[in-house]
Amino acid sequence: MTTKTFLNGKPIDDVIEVHEHVSPMSTYIKVLGALFVLTGLTYAVSFADLGSAGLPVAMVVAFAKAALVCMFFMHLRYDDRYHVFVFLSTLIFVAIFFTFTIFDLQSRDRLNEEQGTFFRVEQGADWDEAQRGNKRVVDAKAKADRKAAAEGKASDAAAPADAKAADGSAPADAKAPDGKAAP
Amino acid sequence: MSRAHADGPKAPHAFFQHHYNTVEQQAGAAKLGMWVFLATEILMFSGLFLAYFVVRMFYPEMVLSSHELLSKTMGGINTVVLLTSSFTMAMAVRAAQVGNTPAIVRNLILTIVCALVFMVVKYIEYSGKFANGILPGKYFDYARAAEYAQAHGHELVGLPHIFFGLYFCMTGLHGVHVLVGIGVLLWILVRAKRGHFGPQYFTPVENVGLYWHIVDLVWIFLFPLLYLVK
Repeated sequence: MTTKTFLNGKPIDDVIEVHEHVSPMSTYIKVLGALFVLTGLTYAVSFADLGSAGLPVAMVVAFAKAALVCMFFMHLRYDDRYHVFVFLSTLIFVAIFFTFTIFDLQSRDRLNEEQGTFFRVEQGADWDEAQRGNKRVVDAKAKADRKAAAEGKASDAAAPADAKAADGSAPADAKAPDGKAAP
Repeated sequence: MSRAHADGPKAPHAFFQHHYNTVEQQAGAAKLGMWVFLATEILMFSGLFLAYFVVRMFYPEMVLSSHELLSKTMGGINTVVLLTSSFTMAMAVRAAQVGNTPAIVRNLILTIVCALVFMVVKYIEYSGKFANGILPGKYFDYARAAEYAQAHGHELVGLPHIFFGLYFCMTGLHGVHVLVGIGVLLWILVRAKRGHFGPQYFTPVENVGLYWHIVDLVWIFLFPLLYLVK
């Protein structure tokens, strides 16, 4: 074949774009067997009470299965390393996404309290009641914000007091402490 | 490790596009594009997985009590069905690599059958839930769901509709992917029957295979998280 490949305007020899690998049938059958065994394992383990170890065990098995599928069924083991990079880079971004979100949610309890943010329904609470409470808080805050905007550079300290006056039955959450900056 | 180019560069095939220099370059471009698409798929599902973990973090009792209403057996059957379909899909790609058209067609049909079995099991699961007031979002009927749970010896704790909202979103989006998968599998089945694929050209089979394996991968994580959590 006489077709030439050019990179940055220069012809290059023996360029390899695709690494083809034909795995033997036995590989696929062994991988399928391993996947079935791992599925049986998670299924069996789910009936045993492992306590807090249950989730990590299930995740380790799931990652093992995922690795088998990626390496052999998706040919990543034999594929261009760049495809492995593209695939693994998503896992890095997912890890960042998970870590930062969970860090944020775990460390903002005090902030929510200060801002009066409706955030979490306690275990055993009445959901409808909680939603009504949430609506009161949100409405009161919106009203206060509108008023503050209308008054131009109104002080934030005035807003919560106004909200309280507008709806006396607002739950304790709605009472934002005075003097706290709430942009 | 790789036997690429052992037989020298490939000759142009009927589907060779003029704007590529070589057949390998065309295949490589298509495959890289597919991997980038798969990366976006993982990122999309990761949002739902994160939502699951957050809800689990804040309401552990609610997640644990609600998931008892999902059938581990149904989920298990679906896992086995999807893993099998992934295997037949890999066999179809292999058949294309070695140029065995009847085997491509056979394995693609098996894959589609597995996908349909998966959707039928999902339909049985969903209709069982719908019939007992377990519906997505605001249609969730707490009284009927609690009755259903009690009939099965469980008790609903906290806010079960949040868990089932996640359940319907996650399995629903996955189910949509299975349906799309059936569509693209049918497309390459028709092309395989026309004899389009062989060792020279099997990019569509390979890329549809990659997509199908990602659908399988997502289910590998959905199954333990939604059905087996403890």
